[in-house]
Amino acid sequence: MTPSLLRPDQPLRLVDTYPPSAPARQAIIRVEDLSIVFDAPSGQVIAVDRVSLAVAQGEFVSIVGPSGCGKSTLLNAMAGLEQPFEGQVLMAGEAMLAPRSEIGMVFQQPHLFPWKSVRRNIAHGPRALGKPKAEALRIADDLIEMIGLTRFASAYPHTLSGGMQQRVAIARALANQPSVLLMDEPFGALDAQTRAVMQDNLLELRERINATIVFVTHDIDEAILLSDRVLIMSAGPGRILKDLQVSLPRPRSSAIVAEAACLALKRDCLDLIRSEGRRAFEQMEIKT
Amino acid sequence: MSIGRRSIATATARLSVLVAALSVPAFTGVWELVARSGIVNTVLFPPPSTVAVAVLEWIRSGQFFADLMASLARVAGGFAIGAAGGIVLGILTGRFRLVSSLLSPLFHILRPIPPIAFVPIVILWFGLSETGKLFLVVWGVFFTVWLATHIGVQKVDRGLIRAAQMLGTPQPQMLWEIVLLGALPYITVGLRTAVSISFYTLVAAELAGAFAGIVYRIEIAQQNMQTGQVMGGLAALGLLSFVADRSFAILAERTVWWR
Repeated sequence: MTPSLLRPDQPLRLVDTYPPSAPARQAIIRVEDLSIVFDAPSGQVIAVDRVSLAVAQGEFVSIVGPSGCGKSTLLNAMAGLEQPFEGQVLMAGEAMLAPRSEIGMVFQQPHLFPWKSVRRNIAHGPRALGKPKAEALRIADDLIEMIGLTRFASAYPHTLSGGMQQRVAIARALANQPSVLLMDEPFGALDAQTRAVMQDNLLELRERINATIVFVTHDIDEAILLSDRVLIMSAGPGRILKDLQVSLPRPRSSAIVAEAACLALKRDCLDLIRSEGRRAFEQMEIKT
Repeated sequence: MSIGRRSIATATARLSVLVAALSVPAFTGVWELVARSGIVNTVLFPPPSTVAVAVLEWIRSGQFFADLMASLARVAGGFAIGAAGGIVLGILTGRFRLVSSLLSPLFHILRPIPPIAFVPIVILWFGLSETGKLFLVVWGVFFTVWLATHIGVQKVDRGLIRAAQMLGTPQPQMLWEIVLLGALPYITVGLRTAVSISFYTLVAAELAGAFAGIVYRIEIAQQNMQTGQVMGGLAALGLLSFVADRSFAILAERTVWWR
């Protein structure tokens, strides 16, 4: 837990300085004026430009934007894999300076350890955190059952299909019982049918786990289907253009994508992204 | 037509198996004939039958086993120490930029020097002791394994490392599990090259002065004009390094068990 900043020898007093005191809702993730700059051969590139956002405990938030808009970089910063140039990322009140085990991450590629069986891959996290082997394997077995891969528990990753591998990657991230799950286009590399199945799986899974989820995608349907809130990002430099509430009832399934409320929302998003994409494209043409 | 073509293909395949099986016996036969025909001096160029007699005598006297053990101990010991050092330092230089800045320039200067060139100074340092021979083999093996590991570590999938970081993998486990196993395909290639190198350096080490060993026996036989024994020694050395290389190749295939 967050260490107490109070020391017994100091009198308790109300602080009105930075960081801001309790936000409106219990925000578990706070991104404050975050900028991330990369060194490129042509000079410095601003990947994320003064982004601020807050994600409440238990919320499912998607970040949508064209490729190269810095959405993955933003997510990596939340994971502690990327360092801020300016601003900061606070997870449960603490600045993210390095990866932390209570923040789980699923990448676009499964990145499973090829030398470990499904079971051992999932048990890796609990083992790394010092849990006894028997307990780690029990956690793994429970998760394997949850993702429906019991038959493949002792299989090696290269023998599994892409969708199965990604399910293992999700289970592996959940094995440490993260309070926040970050997902970076986790279904982006899958075919359309597998993707639809995985989306339904994730919706089901979400009812059963208690994690806050930040989900990066370039697929608006996917974002609307899964999320409570969709953040739309602009390209080069990455900024958040719009923050849309998705007030569709839950539980949902991939069928809602065809419903009127959903279509209206999608049209709003698309218009925004299209004009944004055109602007970015024109900018690029001027530069080159 | 296609059946005809296929049967021609099978016939060719069978023939090449047969030719392969006859290759060594045929070569030995030609050697025997040439040596006995009087074209060459049999003292300098003995026929295979003479070589076989010399080898049998070598084995019967019990010296062969002693020589084999002495040579194997040098190769195996030097290989183990050199490979272990190469892997450990390769992981450190491959993973930590500061360690690499400290050691890589030095290693790149020392690496191209053939181990044989160290024989004179090794004799001054260690005399004719086993330590000197071990040193030469270690020297030959170390740099090859170090370089292969160093490169392999840099080629480890970044995604694997990030995934491991996100799962809270502590630094030692990161190095000795994720990085080591991630680089293993490269490391095994380096180790296999190092097997042949360890035999090259063994030759230099034993020629420089020893009291037992296969190459030592070759040298003694040469001084006594026992050319049959010399050739028997060469054959033994060839066979030994061939077996070592083959068994290592089989072992390497099983080491990277997840492929």
